[in-house]
Amino acid sequence: MMGLISTNTFWTIWLFVHLILAVGLLGALTHQAVAVAMPAHRAAGGIVTRFRAVPAAGYATAVCVLWVLTFIVGSFIYTKYRIYIRIPLEQTGYYKTGGFFDFKEHVATLGLVLLPAYWYFWKNAQNPEYDNARKGVTLVLAVMCWFLFIVGHVLNNARGFAS
Amino acid sequence: MSTTTTTTPRAATPPSSLAASSKFKTFVTTFSIAGPVVYCLVQYFNYPLITFHPATERLVWGYEAARSGEGPNMLWYGWTATTILTAAALGIIAMMLPERISRKLPLALVWIFPILAIPYIIYSLMPWWVLAAK
Repeated sequence: MMGLISTNTFWTIWLFVHLILAVGLLGALTHQAVAVAMPAHRAAGGIVTRFRAVPAAGYATAVCVLWVLTFIVGSFIYTKYRIYIRIPLEQTGYYKTGGFFDFKEHVATLGLVLLPAYWYFWKNAQNPEYDNARKGVTLVLAVMCWFLFIVGHVLNNARGFAS
Repeated sequence: MSTTTTTTPRAATPPSSLAASSKFKTFVTTFSIAGPVVYCLVQYFNYPLITFHPATERLVWGYEAARSGEGPNMLWYGWTATTILTAAALGIIAMMLPERISRKLPLALVWIFPILAIPYIIYSLMPWWVLAAK
């Protein structure tokens, strides 16, 4: 593989894969979070109502799979980040950017450990005992996902694709 | 044309056998409640299961400081691995408890603990913020 494409292209492709998985995760979690925070009982209506009216329970397994895949690909890229991105960031004084990336890695792990309970609560969506916990954990995961995405995006702007 | 599809969570299909198991519920809720707490403790006391040296691609068990001339070390993989194993062990222990005890675990802790972990995480990154403020 490395003989066919340059090292730079190889890692850029993985960064794209990470991005695509993250976009899918962000979309699924945002739909689900809005549906659980402001449930709509009718699918018809404007775009906002339709956005809220998704069958939220159906997203749970996809969210877990996407979170894990995004996490694994991100962990793979992270080895190169540590050498080729973070060190230049430190040398050029981008400390807040570096600090927020470390913050991102911690949040990604915190989200990862929530997934088993999140999945269980959604697979028992017919049980009102789990309503509050399901709502809480879904909203926390959605906020985490937006944070991870925005920090990753800003970091990529600072020193990302092809650098 | 208007549709009247009900989209509340209650409309979901009945749970699978795994999702219907009370033992599995105890395991997953204990795992997810313990996870953020364990992660903060593991990071504070610095107990990585492994340390990775990316410049030399060397992986070692436990903690190993960065070696001179060999680039930085990476502890996050090890912290995550220690957290997952510890939280899983706590989940297994919780499964062995009588159900009258495990049922008392407040489910809200699943989303409260990660929120409470955030201030500690920000504090643990203080060296970055201090450098940024200079």
